[in-house]
Amino acid sequence: MMAVAGRETAGLEFDALVKEHRAMVFSLAYHFLHDRGVAEEVAQEVFLSLHRNLDRVESAEHARFWLRQATVRRSIDEARRRKRRPQLALDQVAEPAAAPFGRDPMLGEALRRLIAALPEAPRMAMVLRYQEDLDPPEIARVLDMPVATVKSHLHRSLTLLREKLARRGVGEA
Amino acid sequence: MDWLEQELKRALERKEPSPDFAARVSAAARRGRWGSPRRWMAVAASVAVLAGGGVGYRWREGVKAKQQVMLAVRIAGGKLNRVQAHVLEVTQ
Repeated sequence: MMAVAGRETAGLEFDALVKEHRAMVFSLAYHFLHDRGVAEEVAQEVFLSLHRNLDRVESAEHARFWLRQATVRRSIDEARRRKRRPQLALDQVAEPAAAPFGRDPMLGEALRRLIAALPEAPRMAMVLRYQEDLDPPEIARVLDMPVATVKSHLHRSLTLLREKLARRGVGEA
Repeated sequence: MDWLEQELKRALERKEPSPDFAARVSAAARRGRWGSPRRWMAVAASVAVLAGGGVGYRWREGVKAKQQVMLAVRIAGGKLNRVQAHVLEVTQ
């Protein structure tokens, strides 16, 4: 048993969980919300919620899954509540500046903007796929949706991004 | 994994929050357990109001009892005056 920020729990130490998972939790919120300040608020709420529910967490793997799912839900709630970023169709987003393909520092930001403009479900599916490197069944578990729906979101989002970039001549020759 | 997916992995790689994030979360967790200073101030204010209300109630009850005693004394005094007057009439 360990003391966990004033609590005790079997084998899981709260401060260690924060240190281990802070980048994962913060980045999920940040890539979904595209706002550092709001993402930190969401990440803090998620960890405080974990602190309140720590006695229900059974293992380190369960903690990771719990944090991912809680972050997804809180990020979606936050996006709906604040409505800071109006939902735009992908076609309405400004296209990235033309640049030769390669290690283009602008391309990363352009991709983040394009993803931030996707609707909620495909946006979170893309973030979980490429930030967390989860496969479609794992994404389906976190998002609580059918695997076929996740695959469809990923496929359609990639197709849209490819089209958007190709219009500006960004892509493989 | 094609070029776009590789670029997406780079664009969406994990980022660190502010350097003091972990410390802030741990501090907030401890505050959450023991209650924030604002919460304790609210509790203290409630206790003060209740205690003040109790003192005020007892003071008002005391005033009321004093008024009743004075009224009883005045009634008794009036009756004694009338009895005394009657006794004087009879004796004269």
